[in-house]
Amino acid sequence: MPLVHVEHLQKRFRVAERGGGPLGALRRVISREGRGVREVAAVEDISFAIGRGEMVAYVGPNGAGKSTTIKMLTGILVPSGGSVVVDGLIPWRQRTMLAARIGVVFGQRTQLWWDLPLIESLRLLRHIYKVPEGRYREKLARLTDLLDLGPFLDRPVRQLSLGQRMRGDLAASLLHDPKILYLDEPTIGLDVVAKERIRTFLLDLNRREGVTVLLTTHDMADISRLCERMLIIDHGKLLYDGGVGAIAERYGGERRLVVDLAEDVAAPAVPGARLERREGTRLWLSFRREEIGAPALIAALTARYAIRDLTLEEPDIEAVVRRIYEEGLP
Amino acid sequence: MRLYLLLAGARLRGQTQYRVSFALQVASSFTSTFVELLALLILFRTFSSLGGWSVGEVAFLYGLASVSFALAELFGEGLEQASRMIREGEFDRVLTRPVAPLLQVLAADIQPRRIGRLAQGILALALAGRWTTIDWTPLKAALFIGAIASTAVVFLTVFLIGAAICFWTIESSEFQNIFTYGGTELASNPLQIYSRWLQGIFLYIVPLGLTTFYPAAHILAKPDPFGLPPFTPFLAPLVAALFLGLGLLIWGLGLRQYQSTGS
Ligand SMILES: Nc1ncnc2c1ncn2[C@@H]1O[C@H](COP(=O)(O)OP(=O)(O)OP(=O)(O)O)[C@@H](O)[C@H]1O
Ligand SMILES: [Mg+2]
Repeated sequence: MPLVHVEHLQKRFRVAERGGGPLGALRRVISREGRGVREVAAVEDISFAIGRGEMVAYVGPNGAGKSTTIKMLTGILVPSGGSVVVDGLIPWRQRTMLAARIGVVFGQRTQLWWDLPLIESLRLLRHIYKVPEGRYREKLARLTDLLDLGPFLDRPVRQLSLGQRMRGDLAASLLHDPKILYLDEPTIGLDVVAKERIRTFLLDLNRREGVTVLLTTHDMADISRLCERMLIIDHGKLLYDGGVGAIAERYGGERRLVVDLAEDVAAPAVPGARLERREGTRLWLSFRREEIGAPALIAALTARYAIRDLTLEEPDIEAVVRRIYEEGLP
Repeated sequence: MRLYLLLAGARLRGQTQYRVSFALQVASSFTSTFVELLALLILFRTFSSLGGWSVGEVAFLYGLASVSFALAELFGEGLEQASRMIREGEFDRVLTRPVAPLLQVLAADIQPRRIGRLAQGILALALAGRWTTIDWTPLKAALFIGAIASTAVVFLTVFLIGAAICFWTIESSEFQNIFTYGGTELASNPLQIYSRWLQGIFLYIVPLGLTTFYPAAHILAKPDPFGLPPFTPFLAPLVAALFLGLGLLIWGLGLRQYQSTGS
């Protein structure tokens, strides 16, 4: 029996057009389909299963339905259709029971008490999750060590840097030894060093303690470093479920150079790079690590054209999805 | 209960980090509500009685409603916050924890400055004590305590329903204000001075009339203008419990409607 089992999952949101004052609001409460209520399908048809101990990436462009799926997996949202079972429980119906077995980190939103020192938040969570004192001490010591929380345990959360706060949130979500950890963009906004520290921690958590992890991210590096399997979704539907290797190899190695030319060129072309897009004097060139290095490409460019500015972009998941649409799956 | 104290305590500690002066806030809350009491006293300089009730009797009713409302505000602050949490998606966090959402919401905020209103209600009761002669019996004392508790529960339930409505629509504050601030206003005066329509609402829909006016009339030995059965004053706790049950039902339904936010 897989730990997470999702079948034909669906979620539609009601979006109310505003107006009509307090009585209009009341009318909308009473008659559901009253004028001005639209439905938005965030998740249309998604099925997958995750086994114990897996670490799976759940990716897709903005608005694909990732967060919505995670909210249904935790019981925050009630699905509009399909079924979802986590560790034998139906999340929205047995939410409180399930809550004790899962950990959740929303990268955009902390679960810590903003005004209290980090250690106080952790202490409160110990009571909320009824973690025995001895177990809590042990766990806290271990997490403090692994996530290097020591220097800021006594600082109010609102004073912490984003990276510190994220580490605090990770610790908070793990105090009660959850079987599964959902991470919604745990590396968002972090610098390379902070990202790497979190990745190392997650790898260790998964390998040594066998915690199942489902994570969403827009960072290809997160995925290739952490996961063997990935689910790609777009517009609420599953596009791909399979190994990370095949995708990363085929699309992930592709980087992008954004070039601002000093003057308009009729048909710009550089060997080894593909002209992906062009707007006036700005060009988007994609190229593969194996075919041409960035310095060689830049040298070739400067030799041909007068260049005002350059930016190098690492591959992101949006690019991968775009190419899956263009070229199909491997 | 222990968890409630822990969480509410944490909130209080968090607040003290910003707080300029607690005493100042209590004082300001006291004065702003004291104006209401003053208005009542001034009214009675012109009229000697209101619906057959003397100034002391009305002060008693007013004090009872005021103390109850202050208690509801003191413990129900989190419910006011809940509207915002639901609107802004912060409620997500509440739903990922293995504790009843209502408990978390109640413990999420507590505003000690509300004791300003409490003090003012107690002052009104003290004045009433001087200006009326109530012959207290154990039964009346129990009814008095019961009425305060029941009224506080009714107000809390109004807050609860107000918050729950946010699960369906984000515009619920109007509803709440009508019934809480309007409700204190009505509960503070003898019910017979209002229109039939308002009387009906506050007896049978939001049953503040049954939890304030009837017990107060019984304690003060005033006649019942509506001719309800003689045991009506003692129904207050039952009525409050039923109303709370309704509130909890709506809240439970609301939880399933929760939509969170897109980001
Ligand atoms: N509470 C809501 N009410 C209305 N629409 C919503 C709500 N939550 C999400 N949506 C819509 O559903 C779609 C999917 O949103 P979701 O947050 O799941 O996307 P996502 O994959 O997490 O995107 P991102 O990468 O930007 O976080 C979007 O079109 C979004 O606007
Ligand atoms: Mg998201």
